[in-house]
Order: sequence, then C-alpha cells, then structure tokens
Amino acid sequence: MSVTDKRAPGVRISDLSVVYRTQAGELPAVRGVDLELVPGTITGVVGESGSGKSTLALSLLNAVQPPGRISSGSVEIDGLGDVVSLTGDNLRKARGRHVGYVFQAAQNSLNPLKTVGKQLLDLGRSHDVDDLPGLVKEARSLLDRMGMDGARVLDSHQHELSGGMRQRVGIMLALVLNAHIVVLDEPTTALDMITQATILRIIREVHEERGLTTLVITHDLGVVAEIADRLAVMYGGRLVEQGPTREVLGAPKHPYTRGLLQAIPRLVGDIDEARALPGRPPTLGTIPPDGCVFRERCAVRMDVCETGEPPVLTIGPRIVACHAEAGEREPESEPAEEPEKETVTTGPVRGEEQA
Amino acid sequence: MITGKGITKTFRQRGGMLGARDVPALRGVDFSIEKGGAVSFIGESGCGKTTLGRILAGLESYDSGEIVIDGVPMSSLRPKQRQPHFRRVQLIHQDPYSALNPARTIHQTLDAPLSLRAKQTGRPRSWMDERAEELLGLVGLDPGYVLPRYPHQLSGGMRQRVVIARALTVDPDMLVADEATSMIDVSLRLGILALLKDLRDRLGVSVLFITHDVATARYIGLDGELYVIYRGQVVERGPVETIISDPVHPYTQSLLSAIPVLHGLEAPGAERVVPTEAIDAGRPDTGCLFAARCPFRTDRCESERPVLGHDGGTAQEHACFHPQRRSVVATPAVRL
Repeated sequence: MSVTDKRAPGVRISDLSVVYRTQAGELPAVRGVDLELVPGTITGVVGESGSGKSTLALSLLNAVQPPGRISSGSVEIDGLGDVVSLTGDNLRKARGRHVGYVFQAAQNSLNPLKTVGKQLLDLGRSHDVDDLPGLVKEARSLLDRMGMDGARVLDSHQHELSGGMRQRVGIMLALVLNAHIVVLDEPTTALDMITQATILRIIREVHEERGLTTLVITHDLGVVAEIADRLAVMYGGRLVEQGPTREVLGAPKHPYTRGLLQAIPRLVGDIDEARALPGRPPTLGTIPPDGCVFRERCAVRMDVCETGEPPVLTIGPRIVACHAEAGEREPESEPAEEPEKETVTTGPVRGEEQA
Repeated sequence: MITGKGITKTFRQRGGMLGARDVPALRGVDFSIEKGGAVSFIGESGCGKTTLGRILAGLESYDSGEIVIDGVPMSSLRPKQRQPHFRRVQLIHQDPYSALNPARTIHQTLDAPLSLRAKQTGRPRSWMDERAEELLGLVGLDPGYVLPRYPHQLSGGMRQRVVIARALTVDPDMLVADEATSMIDVSLRLGILALLKDLRDRLGVSVLFITHDVATARYIGLDGELYVIYRGQVVERGPVETIISDPVHPYTQSLLSAIPVLHGLEAPGAERVVPTEAIDAGRPDTGCLFAARCPFRTDRCESERPVLGHDGGTAQEHACFHPQRRSVVATPAVRL
C-alpha cells in the first residue's frame, strides 16, 4: 500500500449535513458526518438504500442536486481547499481533474450514440486538454492495464461492451484526467460474481499503482471486506461506526453493524444463526429527528436512545456512536442480545391451502 | 412433482451483415423438483437459468425435450390445455418495483386474480377479502396497513412480499424466484429467503430459486439441490451442502471462490481458484464449454464434451474430465 505516496491527497469531511427540500420542510439526508479519507487508502462506506451514502459521495464533488443542498460542514481536499465553497469554473475543473467519479450503474451512463473514444475526446475538450492524442494514449494504456484491448474498446459503442467492460470504461474515464481521488458508487452492482471479483481486484491494483485515495460506496459488506482499508457504516444519514475493516468486521461495536453482519447469507455455518434485522431502514421522511436513528430496530435499545444524541466514542482507530456501547465501555463485554426474527412465521398455519 | 428431460432452447439472433446467429440458451437440461422441494439454479448472466425458469412458468417455448407436470407430459397436450398446468408455476422476478401496477392499491392488485379464483371455485365475493388478508398475513405483512396502500408507499422488501402473496392467490404448486432478493436491502434479504423456506414447510409449495449468489441458495432449505449451469449446460449438480463444501467442477469452484471473503471474520479457502472472466461467446463450441476459462484444462477438454454423470468418486454429478475436490470456500474465523 502506498500510504506515503506524496501524490495521494487526503480528504477531511467535517460536520457535513445535506438537506433535501420536501413538502414537509427540509429533511436531512446526511447529518453531522465526520470522515477522514487518509491519503493512499481505500475507504468503504456501507449503507442500505436511503442511508445517505450516495449523497455523501456527491458532496465530495459539491454536486448535490436541488432540491438538495449542503447545509453545513466542509469537505477539505489537499491542494484544493474546501470544496463546499467552490463555485463555477473552479468547481467544474476540480471535478475530473482532482476527483474522479464512477457513477452508480456506470454500465449505463455511457452515451449509446457515440463511441467510447468520442466520449473521451468530449471529456478532454470540456476540460481544456491541449494534448488530446496524449489523452487517448493514456486512456488506451489504462484500458490495456485493466485487461482489455484498449484500441478496440475506444472504437466501440456501449452496446458492444459487456457490463464488466463498461464498468472498466467508467473507471478509465474517472482516472484519465489524472485525478488522485476516486469515488466509486456501487462499482459492482448488477455484475456477476466472477466479474465482480475481477473488477475489485483491478480497483485495488490500480489504486496502488497510481497512488490514489479511494472512496467506495456500497450496500454490500462483502465488497468493502475485499478491498477497503477502512470501513464506515452509515444508517439514516449518520455514520454510526468506522474503523479498520478487519477490526470492524471481526468485532463490530455498533448494534447495526452487528445486525447487518448477521443478516448476510453465508456459505458456511448454521443457517439458523443468520437472521434478518427486524423492521426496515428509514426513508428521508421517517428518520427520527431526535435520539438514535437506529433505535427502532435495535436489540439493545434504552430509554436514553429516544431523546439523547448517541455519544461519539473514539476507541483507538475506531469510532462508534452508540449509547449502549458508551454504557459498556469499561469492561469490554458484548451486550447479550437476541434480536427478534423478522415476522415471517407469525401468520396462521393453513394446511388445507394446498389441495 | 415437475420434471424436465433434455430441455433445449436456441435463440436466433438476427445479426447484421453476417445473417442470423444461433445462440444456444439451454443444451439438453434434465431436472426434477419434488412437491415441496427446493432446487436452485446457479450461474452467471446469460447461462440460461432465467430462460429455464420462464419455460417452467409457461412464458417461453422450448425447442425440444419434455416437461412432465404431475405425471402429465406437456407434449401430449395442446397449447391451450397446457395453460392450467403452467399456471400452477408462478414466477417471482427480480424487480418488485416494476412487478406491481403503480396505479393500483395492493387491495386492487390482489383482487384481480382472486376474483378469477372465486369464479373458478364458485366462492362468494366475501371470500376474496378474507383470502387477501390471509395471504398477506402468510407473507408477514399487516393487511390493515398494506391493503389500502399503493406500491410506492411500501419498501422493497414489503413489495416483494406483496408479489409473493399475489403469486399465492392461484394456489400454485411451485414458485420460481428469479433473483428475487437481489434488489432487496441487505438487512431484509434474509427475511424474504426465510419466507420462501417457510412457504415450503407450511404450504408444501416447491421453490425453484434462480440466482448468481450461491450463499442465498442455502437459506431456502439445506435439503435443497443445486444445479450449476454454464452456457446452457448443467455442469454440476447435487445436494446444496455437498456442492458448497466439496465442489469438483472448476466452474463451480470459480463461482465459489469469487464470493467476497469477510476478512477479519472469515479466512479464505485454501485452494481458491482465481476466476477467469467470461470470454467471447462467439467462439466455436467444440469440447468442454468451460475449457477456455479453465485453469486445469487439458487437450482432451478442447476436443471432447464431457457429459453430466457420476463417476463413483463423488457424491454429486458433474460434467468434467478432471474432477477434483478443492476447498475454496471461506471458513469462519470468529463467531459473532
């Protein structure tokens, strides 16, 4: 890992809040998030739909679209300053040059009417690249590096490429302007298992070779487990836990992280031990304004969770925001817990249904 | 019980200058599903697993082979006569967001098939409301909450449960779940799997589970069978736990090796096969279909096609000239 690589910039997100204007007033999609992307590392943000993870990622480009807006906080990027205060041309230049972004469903974000090469030239012109042949050369070598025939891919239309190939084209477009911060939003969704494994390996290798600072946004803990150095878990717009990936997965401290790990179908082990989390993730409109956002689904909920903001505990390299964890702090014992199964087995048993 | 013998299906791709191209989707697939049983089809996209599911639900024709539903060979019936048989197989597909009419409440959604059912069985209208509530209860939903609502007011997990309830309105013998959990939030996915398992236990519905995620296949029942499909051919078949713990076909091993390891919680399998990616499907189909991607191929694999069968040394059937057990699956390192 190239942690000491001088080119890799760091990112410090401080007290970031993003709100969306709705009929019910402005509702927070991201609230009070503090997150540092250490230069040269891969950080994985994990969350379910509506957790605010994509909104968080867009904030890195100051690209939250109306009716959303960044209501407070800052995103400091080394060599660029606070992205939140950038506007106009400066902001446009920063996107692509400093921060490369691979969008969710990058497979479908290409223009179906133009070859990949033409789209590459469009990108170059809009960023005032003088040396377009050099850009093409760079693009080709990036594609070759990712195990494709670069020249052929540049001559192809989107429909001639498979999902895994399009995803690699997305990564190429994010890197070709020499950005050293890369954001990948759900990089492997809708890909087959084997293609996913290949793409993850490529992300890891390219990250190391080019000395990048990488942020991966995903709903899949497995993806983060494979490639991320640090893991941040989001729920209801909050970061509830973060730390080194292996430590968090090996000994999760937040009840949500624990529940999520238990809810993943696994290849080995007792299938009765795995269980779905009760309830469902909150949406923008149902995120509770006060207290802990996870309390409704939490097995170790206490009275204080209803009203009190969970204290943010820093334990070595790990950070966790939870009342229960705060109470348990001194002797490090796991709270005994037995989360309820989802209510699938409560209906009446009707044997005669199947005649 | 539903069995299939030698199911073959070829799609004709209307090409450009070179004329039509034949794309074999299924190459003589045999299978059988007991009443109340669970069978999973595993494979990458384009392997034919979805086509097989659609054929079973009567939504797709097949070129040759025979499907027998409860002893009745479908080839002995005229297309019209087949319909009631195929209706007993209900398809639940990947996307619960597009499977429900957004302009109809859940009550209206369930009413349509139920009124048909009431007419068929001579039941009164009052039975329909009772039945709708009963079915929603069965899939773990609160009828009072769900019935008056529109699809957009429900979460993905709830919608998928509504889709399952709708499939149950016709009292099916089999549910074909095609990637039914892949668009559901991770924390709720297991609930849908548990529901399918529960419906097997309680209603005796058999479940055909189509997925690319092997791990989920265990959760609809450990008594289930796994079919690993590669480019239209079943390359390995056997009990779920056997295939996962002792796979002998290199393709199965690649699939299992590609599943992310939860480092910190699990240790990777000792003999993980580094998967090769899908290659151009346009190459000629001589020899083993997987040969081009197989790290263990020999000359024989290039020229001769292995067929599915036992070879005495393994518990499962496989189509490989060089079957060898490899432990590729991650093992738990820590207990939560």
